[in-house]
Parts: sequence; structure tokens; C-alpha cells
Amino acid sequence: MLHTRVEAGEIPVVYLEGEIDLDSVETFRWVMSDAMRGVAEAVVDFGKVTFIDSSGTGLLVRFCLDYKAQGVQLRLRNIPPVVDDVFSMLKVRTLVGDEAFLDA
Amino acid sequence: MGTPPSKENPATLQVMRYDARRGTLTVIVGDPAGVPREIIAQRAAEAMRARSFVCHTSDDDEFLGADEICFIPRAERCEIVSIHTNGWRRHHGDHRRSLVEILNDLAAAVARGTLSFLDDDELVAISTEGHEIFACTVNDSASLAQARAGVAQVLDDQQVAPDARRRLELCVSEATTNMLVHGGGGGTMKLLLVGDRLRAVVADHGPGLSFLNWTEEAGGLNQPSMGYGYKIILDNLESVYLHTGDEGTTLILDRTI
Repeated sequence: MLHTRVEAGEIPVVYLEGEIDLDSVETFRWVMSDAMRGVAEAVVDFGKVTFIDSSGTGLLVRFCLDYKAQGVQLRLRNIPPVVDDVFSMLKVRTLVGDEAFLDA
Repeated sequence: MGTPPSKENPATLQVMRYDARRGTLTVIVGDPAGVPREIIAQRAAEAMRARSFVCHTSDDDEFLGADEICFIPRAERCEIVSIHTNGWRRHHGDHRRSLVEILNDLAAAVARGTLSFLDDDELVAISTEGHEIFACTVNDSASLAQARAGVAQVLDDQQVAPDARRRLELCVSEATTNMLVHGGGGGTMKLLLVGDRLRAVVADHGPGLSFLNWTEEAGGLNQPSMGYGYKIILDNLESVYLHTGDEGTTLILDRTI
């Protein structure tokens, strides 16, 4: 189960809590698309994510690359070890660039 | 150059096995029709004599237009994996992994002994070893979390270290997700204890593993990461066994606990 909360503003922050898997990627996609509408930059906070798999990671990478191509910066922060472990396995930092990580 | 992949002309994986003692070549995965057996057996024997992992990148006729074919000597036999992408190529800006990259990972996993393709007899032997400690049906995405919870409970009961537990849960989740998306909509997952190993058997009755699926968005789910799922599985487990055909796919994951 994935819970989300969006802190609106010039740079919106999307807070994620719970599990990001095949069951929740549609929620993740919908929330991100909504939060990113009309902004030049947004932040995704992973602090309370307890699980992510390749479905969630694949979608996140796609978001980062697609928005980057449109000149929109998507930044990631508070990556917990359980998420960082998967990101390392899949070389997410290489794919999306270190600049996308606020903790880098 | 071939035509782009489509339902009628998909990118395909072929797995063969050359038995040096018997001098036989068996097709484990894929269509055996038209396989240039003599040439492949000869190249397999050469790889075994040289004790070398040999890959040919080719689109000529020698290997029926295989984009890549790898010969992997293992003891008395040589595993041969090839991929026919029919002209598919990564397009600009696409972060998904190309089929040839996936084949390279699979061939490397076979070479280091992590991945084994099973024939029918081997599947029966391996999937019935040990004793069953958990089983569930996975028929929708909501049941993925239930399957993970079941695995977590078993690993707790077995007092598996947190890091190993997390990675096992992830691998089983990837395998069951693959099954849901590409395995005809669902199947079963069971856990077996085989000596000091935990074995997960994930089985479906879908149409068999199609490598074309690995690069496509599946079922409108925009799930572009099949190659990533297999990378996670192969990088984190000691042994992975795969059996696939017209009657379904079984993926077996092994790790010492």
C-alpha cells in the first residue's frame, strides 16, 4: 500500500509512504503527474518508503528522464537504505544523474 | 536486417545444450525447427576444447540470423543461448535495456553458474526437492504484498539476517510480478526448505517467456522494467533455474539461509 501527500508550492514536494510495487505504480504515476503540472521543479521525498521494486524504480527513472527532457527538474531526497539498495542494484544514479539526488 | 518485432514476429530467445559425451544437441527453449545443428555442435565442441565462453555477434546466416549467440562450456556439456531480435534496436533516449544487453547478462549468469535453463525432467526433480513451508496463489497485484508478507514470516521463522531477508523478499516479489504481468495473469508461489537453502518456486501457465515482453509496456501498466527485475534476481541469488515453454514458465530461486 502506498500513501502519498503533496505539499504544494513553487517547488512541490511529494511525500511517499509505504510500498511501491506493481500494485501502486498507477497511484505513484497519477500523483506525480498531478504534482508536476506546470512547475519547473519538484521534490520526491522517499523517507517513509518501506519497499520498492523494479516496477517502481522503472517508473521513477522514466519520470526523471522525461521531465528532464522537458526542462523540468525532479529531485529525490531522504532515500532510505531499502530504496538506496535497489537504486544501487539498478544504477539509478547513473541513469538519472547525481544532480537528481538532493542528498548526494 | 529483419523486420521489427511484432506479435507475429517477436524477438526470441533460444537455449540449446550440447552434450559432449553423447555428441547430442538438444533445444531447451525455443523452436527446434531449422536449427543448424551441425554448425552449432561444432562451435560448442570448439568452445569446450578451448574451455572458453565464446560469444558471436552476428546477423549473417551462419546462425540463422541470431543477433548474438553465446557458447558456455560447463563440465561435460555446453549451454548455448542466442537471441534473435529481428531488427529491434534501442531507440534514442530509451532507458530500457536492450535485448542484447539482457542476453549478455543471462549468458554471463549461465557462465558463472547462477542461471540454469531446465529441461522437463530437471524441472520435476528440482521443484519437488525438500519440503514445502509456504504456498500462495498470486492472481492480482494486490496479492503481491500478501506473498511478500508470507515470505517475510517464513524468513522470520528461519531467523534469516535482515539484509538477506530484504533481498529475498525483493527477488520473490520481482519473480511474482513477472508472473503477473507476463505469465498469463497469475500463478502460484511456494517456498521449500532444501537443506540449508530456501527455494522459491514461482509457476504460471501462461504462454511462455517472451523476450519481446521485456522491452514493451505490458498490459497498459507501463511497467518497462522486466530486464531490471531479472537483473535483481540474478545479482542477488546463488542459483536461479528457468523452465519455459508453451505451457507456462517456472522460475526457481535458491539462496542459502
